[in-house]
Amino acid sequence: MKTQKSADIASGCFLAFLGLVTIFAATKITGGLEERLPPRTLPYVVGVIISISGALLAIRSWRLRGENPPIKWPDRAGTIRVIVTIVSLALYLALMDFIGLPLSTFLYVSFSVWYLGKYRIWYPLLIGFLSGAISYVIFIYLLELTFPVGPFLTR
Amino acid sequence: MLFSWDYLLQGFGTALSLQNLLYAFIGCMIGTLIGVLPGIGPSSGIAILLPLTAVLAPTPAIIMMAAIYYGAMYGGSTTAILVNIPGEASSVPTALDGYEMAKQGRAGPALGIAAISSFVAGTLGIVGLTFFAPALANFALAFGPPEYFSLMFMGLTLVISLSGRAILKGIISMAIGLLASLIGQNPLTGAARLTFGSTELMAGINFISVIIGLFSIAEVMVDVEEKIKAINMSKVRDVFPTWADIKRCIGAMLRSTGIGFFMGLLPGCAPSVTTFVAYDVEKRVSKHPEQFGHGAIEGVAAPEGANNATSSAGFVPLFSFGLPTAPSMAVLLGGLMMYGLQPGPMLFKQNPQFVWAVIASMYIGNVMCLVLNLPLVGMWARIAIIPFPVLGPIIVICSLIGTYSIRFLAFDVWVAILFGIIGYFMRKLGYPIAPMVLATVLAPMLETSLQQSLLISQGSPMTFITRPISAVFIGLAILSLVRGFWKQMKSQAPEVAEEEES
Repeated sequence: MKTQKSADIASGCFLAFLGLVTIFAATKITGGLEERLPPRTLPYVVGVIISISGALLAIRSWRLRGENPPIKWPDRAGTIRVIVTIVSLALYLALMDFIGLPLSTFLYVSFSVWYLGKYRIWYPLLIGFLSGAISYVIFIYLLELTFPVGPFLTR
Repeated sequence: MLFSWDYLLQGFGTALSLQNLLYAFIGCMIGTLIGVLPGIGPSSGIAILLPLTAVLAPTPAIIMMAAIYYGAMYGGSTTAILVNIPGEASSVPTALDGYEMAKQGRAGPALGIAAISSFVAGTLGIVGLTFFAPALANFALAFGPPEYFSLMFMGLTLVISLSGRAILKGIISMAIGLLASLIGQNPLTGAARLTFGSTELMAGINFISVIIGLFSIAEVMVDVEEKIKAINMSKVRDVFPTWADIKRCIGAMLRSTGIGFFMGLLPGCAPSVTTFVAYDVEKRVSKHPEQFGHGAIEGVAAPEGANNATSSAGFVPLFSFGLPTAPSMAVLLGGLMMYGLQPGPMLFKQNPQFVWAVIASMYIGNVMCLVLNLPLVGMWARIAIIPFPVLGPIIVICSLIGTYSIRFLAFDVWVAILFGIIGYFMRKLGYPIAPMVLATVLAPMLETSLQQSLLISQGSPMTFITRPISAVFIGLAILSLVRGFWKQMKSQAPEVAEEEES
């Protein structure tokens, strides 16, 4: 998927498939067939729109003879940064239930600031600590929202 | 009549209460901050704060949300002028001449004229809102479910056809937005749809998770790709433009107000579209078009005026029809629904105190934004150059906390991360995001009005074309789609959506 044309063909095919999956899933929706608008009708329609539009996009791009600009994908280092960002987000969320919002915020922010900025270690730790403390004070202490607090803190 | 001076005066009375003034001020501050900071736009800003405002009464909450939106229009110019980094897509034309002026040592007057033009256009736009919205709401009183369905359908098709050279991608984006909101229970019958037996999916996908993912998380993912370069900021001396500067810009301010306001009434005409149109018109009517791009002060006044007029105009269809014209408006619509307020003609009839207080607060908020942006511009400029490695993780944390506080379900945050990844690929592959956001927010209303229409007509879809107002909307929708397809078929260029305003 280096150029717009190849990306459109690939994404069009994927979307046509997604539309078919939606149509198939819509057939499994039960009940309400006596109604004016049965519950499966709209998912059907949406599935049909996605699969037809996806197929048309792929065909049109395949037949296109003209400018074919490259997609601005990141370089290797950029790709790694994007992947690390997603993985650290997933870890943040997975850890939040066990260690609580303030501590997971501290760990996530410290790591991300250090990883993205390559600062000396005290600076990311300070930003992380402030973020964790502010998240505790505002969301748990002041607004009394039901975020997980973790084993080391109380509400 | 849905307009009276008494209502407006009562609205001012409510808006001038200490609590509402405070929330308008907080909204203006946050909005300016969001406008100043690249990487976060008004849609994600409002979406992040929406669940957290559940503790407030509807009037101060919506006053604050609206202030965030128009405040962001003021802030976007600061970094565009000083460091050539537009805070929002709508500030791109501002950077063309604003940054040139800054390089010539005239950053102060550029920032000053941006704030003054924003204020003039914003205020005139609110005058338009004050008189247009109730008049249109009066007209909309005759609407039944078929008219509402057709109107929303037309809104979606206009957003698709105006999303650049990507009509098929626009349709796909809208369909995926609809698909996401169809997951869960049928709004009328409660039947489970596309849940694959999952209890989490039974509760449905919350539109705030989708919006935060598409805008906030996806934007951060795009930003982490690049290593951040050092930013050189121009010095700001005197922010007050000379009288000659102001006189030179009066025409630009008024023209851009007209362009921004009337285009802003249409779905899909976001500030990022109208600012370019206003800039182009100003260049055409100027006696010195050769100065544009080299530091013409009208080149700053025109886009800044247009984006504020557009932001005010967006409230007209939102309040009178319940129709959002841009993603930020869709989030505001979600906010109104969260408080059990149904925008449309009945809002003016049943909740006049609320709607007029919000409109009145916008007059006050514009003055606040002017005050915040003229003397404090140096402070905003300093905030704007917070390095991304610090700013990015904080934006992500705010986004995730905002998403989690919708229903206190980790599932909502996973959805936001998933849509962040989807949004990242949509940006890379040139898919427009606005149709997906609008579809996600409008889908429940669209489906309900469709069901009600078919119930009334005993299952006949002819109801949409036999009722004259509905037929006009359907006709316009088909026309906009056909026009979009025609343009696309004639073009030999690949489908790529244009930059969008959040």
